[in-house]
Parts: sequence; C-alpha cells; structure tokens
Amino acid sequence: MLKLIIKKEILTALRDIRLQISGGILIVLMLTAVLVGRQGQRKIGVERTKAQSAMYDKWLNQGNKHPHSAAHYGQFAFKPKPVLSFLDVGLDNYTGISVFLEAHKQNEILFSAAQDSNGMTRFGEMTAALILQVLLPLLIIFLTFNIFSKEREEGTLKLIHAQGLSLRQLFLGKVWGTYLMVLLIFLPIIVLAYLLLDDQSVNLDGGVTMKFLSLTSGYAIYFLVFVLLCVLISAFAKSSGFSLLLLLGLWIVSCIILPKATTNLADKVYPSPSQFEFRKTIKDKVKKGIDGHNPSDVRLASLKQQVLDQYGVSTIEELPVNWSGIAMQAGEEYTDQVYDSEFSKIEEIFKRQNRLSEWAGFVNPYLAVRNLSMALAGTDFEHHIAFARAAENYRRAFVKKMNKDMEVNHKPGVGYGDYNVGMEMWASIEPFSYQLPSTGTILSNQWRSITALVFWLVILFFLANIYAPKISKL
Amino acid sequence: MLQATNLTKNYSGHPALTDLNLSVAPGEVYCLLGANGAGKTTTINLFMNFIQPTSGEVMVNGLNAQALETKKYLAYIPENLNLYGNLTGSENLQFFAGLGGAKPDKPASEKLLESVGLQPEAIHKRVAQYSKGMRQKVGIAIAKAKQADNLLLDEPTSGLDPQASNDFARLLRDMKENRVAILMATHDLFRAKESGTHIGIMKAGILVHSLKSDEITLTELENLYLETMKAESHAKTNY
Repeated sequence: MLKLIIKKEILTALRDIRLQISGGILIVLMLTAVLVGRQGQRKIGVERTKAQSAMYDKWLNQGNKHPHSAAHYGQFAFKPKPVLSFLDVGLDNYTGISVFLEAHKQNEILFSAAQDSNGMTRFGEMTAALILQVLLPLLIIFLTFNIFSKEREEGTLKLIHAQGLSLRQLFLGKVWGTYLMVLLIFLPIIVLAYLLLDDQSVNLDGGVTMKFLSLTSGYAIYFLVFVLLCVLISAFAKSSGFSLLLLLGLWIVSCIILPKATTNLADKVYPSPSQFEFRKTIKDKVKKGIDGHNPSDVRLASLKQQVLDQYGVSTIEELPVNWSGIAMQAGEEYTDQVYDSEFSKIEEIFKRQNRLSEWAGFVNPYLAVRNLSMALAGTDFEHHIAFARAAENYRRAFVKKMNKDMEVNHKPGVGYGDYNVGMEMWASIEPFSYQLPSTGTILSNQWRSITALVFWLVILFFLANIYAPKISKL
Repeated sequence: MLQATNLTKNYSGHPALTDLNLSVAPGEVYCLLGANGAGKTTTINLFMNFIQPTSGEVMVNGLNAQALETKKYLAYIPENLNLYGNLTGSENLQFFAGLGGAKPDKPASEKLLESVGLQPEAIHKRVAQYSKGMRQKVGIAIAKAKQADNLLLDEPTSGLDPQASNDFARLLRDMKENRVAILMATHDLFRAKESGTHIGIMKAGILVHSLKSDEITLTELENLYLETMKAESHAKTNY
C-alpha cells in the first residue's frame, strides 16, 4: 500500500506543471552552483598554492642578511581552499585567506572576499548550500502545502479512507513519496558534485569521501525533517491557503529571521571586544606585563641578570652568546604568552557564540544543518581557528630558529650588519603546510548539530505516529 | 450486512440523525429518500466511519464500523466523485482499487472501466478532462474491483445522463444478484422504486417511513414522500 501511495505521489507531482517549473529551476540553479562553485574553488585553490609557493621562493631568494632581518622579512601563510568549500562557502568569504608571519606579533588573517566585494556579498553567494538549505525547503513547501488539505477539499481523502487505508499509512506514504521526490532532485546533483572531484582532491583534506558522505547524510536527514514538518502541518491545516501561509511563515522564521536573531542573541549573551580594544589590551599587556605589574624594562633587566649569572660574567659584552638573540626570543615568548592568553579568551567567546548557535539547532533544524554543512565543507569557525593556530605555530618555530641562530652564531662584538646568513638557513625552514581537521574531529565537534537533527527526526516521527490517526477525513 | 442500532449524531447539540434503526441484508438494496439535510449523507458517513456517532451503534458484517477492518467489506461511491486530475482513469482505478486490496493490472483495469460504460478512448486520458458522469463511472469501477460485501452510495446518479443512469441501475441489479448489501442515499424516487428492495423516507434526521418497495407503487411512493415533506415544512412553520 505504501508503495502505491509513494508511486501516486511521485506521479502526480511529476505531472504538475508548477512543480515541473519550480523543480526545473531548482535543478538548473543547483547544477550551476555546483559547476561554477567547483570551477571557482579549483581556481582559487591553484592560485593559493601558487602564491604559497611563490612566497616561499621569495623567502629562499631573499639574499644574505641578518637572521632577525629575515624574521621581519617574514613569510606568508595562505589558507588552503578546502575541496568541499565549493558546496558551502560558509564563513570563508569573511575570515580572510592569508596571514603575514613575522617576528614580534601575530598579524590578522587578511584579504577576505567580503573586503574586496560590494555590499551584495552580505546577501550570500548562490552556493549549493544556500539552495539545499533555503530553496529546496521552499520546493518541499510547494510539494506538500496541500498534500492533505487538497485531498480533503476535493473529497479524495474520503475515497482513500474508504478503501481501508489507515491515516497513519497514508501519512507515511505521503512523507516517503515527497521525500523520494526531493532525493530525485538532490542525489543526482550531489553524485555529480562528487564526480567532479579529481583524485588529487579526494586524497586531500583528510578523507574527502567521508566528509562528502557525512554531508550528504546530514542534508538527507534535514530534508526528511522538513518533509515531515510540512506534511504534518498540511495534515492539520484547515485549508490549503492556510497551510501555505503557515508553512511560508515557518520558512521565513526558520531560514531568515531565527538565524539572524540567534547571531544577535549570541553576541548579546557573549559579547566580543572590538578589534581596537583587543589590540590595545595586547599592547598594554606586552608593555606592562600580563598582571600589569611587570613592565618590559623590568623583565628585561631580570633576564639580563639571570643570563649574566648563568655564564658567571658581569657584562653582556663578556657573554659567549649573543645577548640580543636571547632577549628577542624571551620577548617573543612573553608576547606569545600574552597573545595566547588574549586569543584564547576571544576564541572562547566565539566558541560560546557558535555553541549557542549549535544548541539553537534544537529549535531550528536549519541552524543544525547550516553548522554541520559549514563544518564538513571546511569553512566554519573551527577550521579558521585551526588554520590560524597552524600558521602561528609555524611563525613561532621559524622566528625561534632565527633567534637561536642569532644567539649562537652572532658573536658578541660583531656588528649587526656584519653577521649574515643565506639560502642554506632559509631552506632549513620547511614551507608552510596545513592539514585540515579529520572527519572524526569535525563530527565530534558538531555533535550538537547532529543530535539536533536526529532529535527533530525522532520528535516528528513520534508526533506523526500520535497525530496521524487523528487527521480529519472530511 | 449493514446494521444501525439507535444511531444518533448531533453536531454541537443539534441533531443530524436521531435514533436510526435499519439493517440491510445481503442481496438487499435499501434506498434512503429525503430532502437535503434529512440525514441521508450523515447515515452513510457514519457507516463509513468518516464521523463518529453521538450514540448508538453502526455495524458492518457484525463488526463495529469504527474498526478499520470493516473497510474491506465496504465499497463507497460519493455524490461528487473527485479523482486525481493528472492521473488517467486507468491509473486512478489501479490506485484506489490497489488500496482496497484488489490489484488490477492495466488490461484488467481497462476491462473494468469498459464494463461500466467508459469509452475506451477515455480510459488513458487524464481525469481532469472527464465529465462528472465519466468520473462517476470510474468510481463504480473502483467499487466493482473491490468486490466488497456491502456498497454505500451517496447520490450516485446525480449528474449522470439517462444512459449512464440506466447503466448504473443495471450494475446495481448485478450486485444485488451477487448478494451485495446496498445502502443508497438518493433524491431519485423512480430509481429508488426501480432498484431498491427497501425504501426509507427521512426527514430532519428521523427515519419516518421504512417499507418494502414491492409493497408500494411509484405513485404511492411519490405521494407518501410529498406528504412527509409537507409535514416537515408545516412542522418547521409551526416551530
């Protein structure tokens, strides 16, 4: 019986000219988003790899100079474009793509797409994610708003019931029929998207296939949740018009209003400092000490005394090592402590804001799938932080190496301009490379979003089981 | 076998059906006559369990009509049979008959539709292009395919042309011969007299008269019906 209803639902939907047009438009949009997105992602990926390589070449060929000058000459770290970012750009347009790595300070990750674009970027790119999260539910609404009310209005519901079909079976038939229709649109395009990935891409990013499968499953659950919700509302709406109004209202609230409201709420509950405040705090703490009672000159004097005692000499000129190298590395390490402390505070604020958004997935399934999708596409905040950390670790390592060389090899008494190193030293620093988090890490970070989607599914099936037999037949 | 015992249905305290007792045995055709609002459709809806009785009992083959199981013993044709417009007649038949447990394949459904008088060229056309009579014929084919023990008809010939109406009467005769219990709500006195074995006249939710059709002529039936209706209007005026 279920098979009969599913077949009938699909057949009637496929023959409905309005659905043919809206479904067709959606398929064209999806195809365009996937093809254009993949092409753009590949182009950007190649550009960033080339830029990373060119910058490293520049580093290697900077000529002979003092290691500390080289530490200021610096390097660039380019954020790799995650392979699946062509499906969901997430925060990528806002988080910047590269960071200048130099001695003494952690620079911001700059050159976001939003900086180079007009205000339209704020409305979002036409990506596969936008279509899947926002537009496909709209199609589900058009498929389902009158799925029961029309039958009731036209009297076919009585005729169906007269054949001995339980309302629960009918409900499930309509749910699965609509769901299969949605999968008929979604699956071929998502399979095509996977086929567009070349072997090199699949081997990158710590298991793209697993991420792809998880992403597909996440969306598959989301669509089922939306179908269940829409069919349930249609089943109890008094008329098709009321049902459409209710569902469109729900769509506006869940896809447009609630996400904005959640962001605003997160910012109110966990306010983040302005960029100016943040930088000023760091500057002050470096200058005055983390506790405010340990100024840099006092720290330097104390370190100097410690080093002199260690080598049993009374002046820095008598030291067998380069005092400036030691002082600079100590300064680096102190600054790192300040940065670590302040960055971890702000990271915690952002993480709490994101967690609130993930919990909000229990109120709004759109938020759950949005967070999960961004995470699996490698374009969420966690990925940004992971890249920032990798770049910072790289910066610290290479600056330390420069300072160490200065400490050991730049003999006291030799002028700053008289001690230089060259290509061999530069080449001892490996080029920057960054491995994206694994699928396991992402899924464990996203447990709230995954649980929220499953929660919605369970609750809606439970409600359907209770209320489907109470659907009015007249 | 269809049976109603002390069956009452009120809507927000207003009686739509009061204390109805009737039974339709296999091979009987019970025709319910009455003006609009007399309670005929309410009776059919109660047998179909589209609505629940306020009191009393409705039985189908000895089972309470509220049990889903009774549906396999019931076939139903409403006054306005609406089918799925973008499915063909044959597809509609296969769908509804399939839900009822019958599984007519394409040739079998074509044969069934032809047997109820649907033109062969219409069978594979979408139902959106059908007239009311054509849709009604598909409904009859669905009921036939189910081969149920009981048939409930709510004004089934309303809107049918004389030829289709005649075909329908033939179908009723066939079903009667096959010992199907038929309960039909109708305004058509002639068809009730011709096809029914029993006739009931209802007014304001009450079964006022219940008689065998061979005990009365068409003219007598007509007079009885008009008198009953007049009594109703007098009653309404007096009220």
